[in-house]
Amino acid sequence: MTRRPLEGVRIVDFCWVGAGSYATKLLADQGADVIKIESRARLDGIRLSGPFPGGVQGVNKSGYFADRNTSKRSCTINMKTEEGQRIARDLVAGADVIANSFTPGVMERFGLGWDDVQRLNPRIVYLAMSMQGDGGPERDYLGYGLTISALVGLHGLTAIPGRLPVGTGTNYPDHIPNPCHAAFAVLAALRHVRRTGEGQYIDLAQTEATISVLGPAMLEFSVNGRDRDPIGNAHDRYAPHGVYPAAGEDRWIAIAVTSDEQFAALADTLGLPESMSRGLDEATRRERRAHIDDVIAGATACFDSVELATRLQKLGVPAAPVHDAAGVVDHDPQLAARDHWVRLPHAEMGESLYNAPPFRFSRTASELEVAAPLLGEHTVEVCREVLGMDEAEIARLTAEGVLA
Amino acid sequence: MSSCARALEGIRVVELGGALTNYCGKLFAELGADVILIEPPGGSDLRSQPPYADDEEGVEQSLGFFYRNTSKRSAVIDIESPSGAEVVRKLAATADMVLEDRPPGYLASVGLDPARLIEENPALVVTSITPFGQEGPYAQFAHADIVCMALGGMLWMGGYDDGPPVRAVGDQAYMAGSLFGAVSAMVALTHAEIRGEGQHVDVSVQEAVALGLENAAQYYDLECRIRRRFGGTQREAGFGVFPCADGHVFLLASGIGGNRFWANMVSWLLHEGVRGAEILEREGWGESDFMATDHAKAVFWDIFTAFAADRTKKDLYHDSQKWRVPLGPVNKPSDVLASAQLQDRGYFVDVEAFGRTIAVPGAPYKLSETPWQLGGAAPKLGEHSDEVLSEAGFGAAEIAELRREGVIR
Repeated sequence: MTRRPLEGVRIVDFCWVGAGSYATKLLADQGADVIKIESRARLDGIRLSGPFPGGVQGVNKSGYFADRNTSKRSCTINMKTEEGQRIARDLVAGADVIANSFTPGVMERFGLGWDDVQRLNPRIVYLAMSMQGDGGPERDYLGYGLTISALVGLHGLTAIPGRLPVGTGTNYPDHIPNPCHAAFAVLAALRHVRRTGEGQYIDLAQTEATISVLGPAMLEFSVNGRDRDPIGNAHDRYAPHGVYPAAGEDRWIAIAVTSDEQFAALADTLGLPESMSRGLDEATRRERRAHIDDVIAGATACFDSVELATRLQKLGVPAAPVHDAAGVVDHDPQLAARDHWVRLPHAEMGESLYNAPPFRFSRTASELEVAAPLLGEHTVEVCREVLGMDEAEIARLTAEGVLA
Repeated sequence: MSSCARALEGIRVVELGGALTNYCGKLFAELGADVILIEPPGGSDLRSQPPYADDEEGVEQSLGFFYRNTSKRSAVIDIESPSGAEVVRKLAATADMVLEDRPPGYLASVGLDPARLIEENPALVVTSITPFGQEGPYAQFAHADIVCMALGGMLWMGGYDDGPPVRAVGDQAYMAGSLFGAVSAMVALTHAEIRGEGQHVDVSVQEAVALGLENAAQYYDLECRIRRRFGGTQREAGFGVFPCADGHVFLLASGIGGNRFWANMVSWLLHEGVRGAEILEREGWGESDFMATDHAKAVFWDIFTAFAADRTKKDLYHDSQKWRVPLGPVNKPSDVLASAQLQDRGYFVDVEAFGRTIAVPGAPYKLSETPWQLGGAAPKLGEHSDEVLSEAGFGAAEIAELRREGVIR
């Protein structure tokens, strides 16, 4: 294994909560030196969000925080103090990337707006990932992944017709669309720096990056002039296509039939009446989907979800048990074979569970090695090694509450 | 087209893919890479997926294909014929990245083994986005977006408290694969450009979905609790979907990681003179144990829905912000396209397609010096076959011969 691809890239990270922290984590895991700037005066709220080992809260014990902050260093700086701001500026002057996920205006109050930073360091990539971007009438609005999902249409389009919309049940934009778009943009901007020496400002509105994963639904309105209706687990083309009950409490199987042969195999396996399996082409199945779904649901309820999915897969039918957390963590042979789940030691949490990156490189390392940092774990190390401060100065700044 | 610098200019991507790779390829194309979509003679898979423009089936009509393939070129090459595979080998020798989503082993079976392509072009990155990854017991499983959502664990979390899990709109498993694919590909390209060393990147859609579990895996690990769906109900009082005059709103009065917004919520309702709102000031309200009770949920539901019944989702959205309460209108695409915020920022861009001017979602990020740019409508099937082959050094006679043999179109 050679060194990690992003070694040598330093990121000064003011991101907090979900989306921003996950974006810089992706880069930290690939070797970037991500220095997370935190403060005891204004904690990253996710440090107080569950789960905690044994359910006991602690700023260094959140499993939610931990999974979002692997491979980073934590440096506490009280940004309300002038000296704290000066230290931050010194860090930024020597960095390749500065990142934040605040509402527009916060970084300016720290003296770290784009104009200030560009003067300090013209080669820097400045990532700002506020909820709605740095301009427009709603730029100061507050929200979370869940309210963003609602605002951009994801929540409303995810529902069983006639019932309340449900969305993903999570702050989905924080976990996939926003961190990935942000990390990709930063890597592209870093390429531009390598080639030209020119840094730049990236304005990522979390709403906009999320709409970008809903493109076809937007086009249905702009091209065909109508709003799409939610269709539950049905598919625009394929039928049957859905989530069906399996044996046991709250057990389900997902089945997607994408050809006539698959439908015949499904009907055989479930022992459906001949009239259901013969001569029903895709268009007819789509037309009669409600009835077909009822018949299938009646049949699947007697099967174990894993056994039935395995049998269907052997016949080439796309099918899967609907995994809950125990399913993905303990009972999925594929995730196990790929070593997806990693246990890392941590001073206060003991060994706990992390997701590995969802990709493997054939030559460079992609394993996760370093757990999330304790609050301020690397403050002294960063002051000494990155900023070249002596012990006396570090002691003074600590005593004065600047490094808190 | 403006003459701005492009972040990814000079990068050439040969994309042998469809539903799993297309969005990834688009991300590269719109920051300046030259992305050539190699399609089989019948067209790549999304071309036969509805919805269609004007509801007319046809290889040039799919809106899902259109959206994910803007700014690219299309060449039709039958890679299952030896001479077609040879054309792609030559293209790969001139490329920085091959992006593909074929079943593991397929490329090798047609003579395009990723390891061999890298041997012939040592700085080449081959990014494979597959449902489950290159190896393991599921490597050859049949897949669909809903199957990847199920096995990655996200499907379980969305849906009804008293009913089934529900799949998120818009093939989000495949989107997740494309997005993590783009990040990992860019990491590998960074390494290749600096060190001259290409490699094979193996992206699993199932694992990408598992990155979207929020804190569910850790709840199971640390507290032995299985997070469940809460759709159709409030997760706790003031947390969930509520009806209003013209639809629904999503309210998150409790915030995340504490009850920081509850006082704001109560002030708002008191200010509006909402009947019964004074109850919400009593002891216990705002504390998570109490907020999780059926009693608290029922009381809050009655108070809030009575208040919201004659207010629109838009008014509730703007009013909530004056009180610093996180509330989002449950919007439809038409609401999104009409958003004053997005219009002010020029998010949607106009493109000529399907015989009219259409608004297409624009920049997911605004880069000040190397702006995102939409490089035109999705290509017609095989629109650039000749041009791509001639750039790769094929003469007119060779191209005509390949066409006669049905290898290209």
